[in-house]
Amino acid sequence: MLKFSVKRRPRKLKGVWTGCGSGPSERIKYLRHWVGKLIRDERIEGREDRMNETRGYAEQLISLAIQNGENHRPTMEMATKWFKEKEMTYKLFKVLVPRYENYQTSFTRIQRLPIEYPGNPYYNVVLELKGNPYPSIFPEQRDKAGLLNNILIEAAKKDFYNEHRQSQVVRDSMERDIVGLERDTLQVRMDKSGSGKVENVKTGSTDGTDVDKL
Amino acid sequence: MQNASQSALKSAKKFYSSSTKLTNTEVRKKRNALFEEEKQRQRAAYVKRVEKILVNYKGQPKDVKLLMNKGISTPYNCAMHINEFLMKRSIVALVNGELWDIHRPLEEPCDIEFRHMLDQDPKLPNQVFWRTGAFILGHVMETAFKDNVYVELCSFPPIPVEKGCFVYDVDLKLPDWKPSQRELTSLSMVGGELWDKNWDFERLEVDASLALKMFEDNRFKREQIPDIAQKHKQKRVVLYRMGEHIDITSGPLIANTSQLYRFQVAQIHHIKSRRFGPLQRVQGIAMPSALHMHWWSWDLLCKRASKPMDYLLPDYFISPSKEPTQQKEDNVRAAVEN
Repeated sequence: MLKFSVKRRPRKLKGVWTGCGSGPSERIKYLRHWVGKLIRDERIEGREDRMNETRGYAEQLISLAIQNGENHRPTMEMATKWFKEKEMTYKLFKVLVPRYENYQTSFTRIQRLPIEYPGNPYYNVVLELKGNPYPSIFPEQRDKAGLLNNILIEAAKKDFYNEHRQSQVVRDSMERDIVGLERDTLQVRMDKSGSGKVENVKTGSTDGTDVDKL
Repeated sequence: MQNASQSALKSAKKFYSSSTKLTNTEVRKKRNALFEEEKQRQRAAYVKRVEKILVNYKGQPKDVKLLMNKGISTPYNCAMHINEFLMKRSIVALVNGELWDIHRPLEEPCDIEFRHMLDQDPKLPNQVFWRTGAFILGHVMETAFKDNVYVELCSFPPIPVEKGCFVYDVDLKLPDWKPSQRELTSLSMVGGELWDKNWDFERLEVDASLALKMFEDNRFKREQIPDIAQKHKQKRVVLYRMGEHIDITSGPLIANTSQLYRFQVAQIHHIKSRRFGPLQRVQGIAMPSALHMHWWSWDLLCKRASKPMDYLLPDYFISPSKEPTQQKEDNVRAAVEN
């Protein structure tokens, strides 16, 4: 089972290489190339729609390899057909499977790149395998909670919400007073004879209503 | 140097006589003259024969060993040898693990580190900054009023940053005054101007007798000085000077007023104290120049700071040695009630 969402229908990848044909066979050629590149380089860049497609196929290959293992014939055949280089099948079963065996999340990550003006009508994107040896795309964000302005604002927020909650409690209790009775303060008190009477828990007074007659 | 300070002292003594009414300006002049004299006297001991000490600096951009002058060189001088950003941004130094002012002379060979407002763990700089805010409130109260109002500063307690304001308890002798927004703004402007003035915060340890002489016009400080001196190891009192304002406080303060940017006197509340009588509690809030804040958030914080702060009222600090046991119980009960 894949741990991220895949589109229902395959995307039409128009004009994948200039000079090549189009259509399903060219699409698979293109994807074979890029899935192999991803497994090899562990971080690739490209157009958003195309990288999204390669992502689906790469994730499926890895998850099948994890599920079935290398001794499963159909999986091995599929892997050898998908990768142009033999070393990639080796890497898939020997390196990536042990890496991703216990993952709860997806095995790849996509991040949009910034647009360089004037830009293209599509986003460029970085697709990478998680756990790769390169430095992360985003710099590590330091914890700024200790800075003076943040401390003061957090304390002000707390104060505000405590006041708000107190005023809410007051409002709720006022509502209850208006209605006259709180829920769960009535209970049925059973007599020795077996007949029950409705009783207010707090005050101990009874309406006189008999449960049998209700 | 000595002649100038001597003449200043004489002129100050001339101004200050028992027949004239006490004013804050005269008192400040006198205090400054005494402070300057003592500072030069203490410095002369080290200047005659200069000894060298080895200082190990650890931190950015790289670890360095420096040969500095004993009793004369300060952590600021060490930073001057290393890098400009250390000079400008450092709030406080750690000398052999101990909090040390940036302009306080180094006494012995040591390891030195610098701390600033944007550190990974800015807890210590925050405390130092908050303490400085209260110190500056004292300056504001002493300078802002006209000469016909004689302001006596009482004390400022160590209120934590999370409470949202710092506080100075003051005797303004204006029991029915409710400050308008305009008056509070003009008080805040006195603090706001400090950023331009680039005043250093100087530290001086003096004998209790000299401190009593400097603060003899302030009836609260006169009482407090013996207690403060008792707690100190060498029975001395630590004074800080910023420009012309001198006050007693134990902990380190920031390096320079250029590190303080926004200052606001939030509110002045009237409080009663068993020990000191009726006082005014001046509450304020400040921001360093290293940190930015939108005016809306600043307004929010100012509103929060203007709420009455009942934390660490003056009666909290009653020296146990002076009170007999019965009276002590009474005082504790009163403090709890307050």
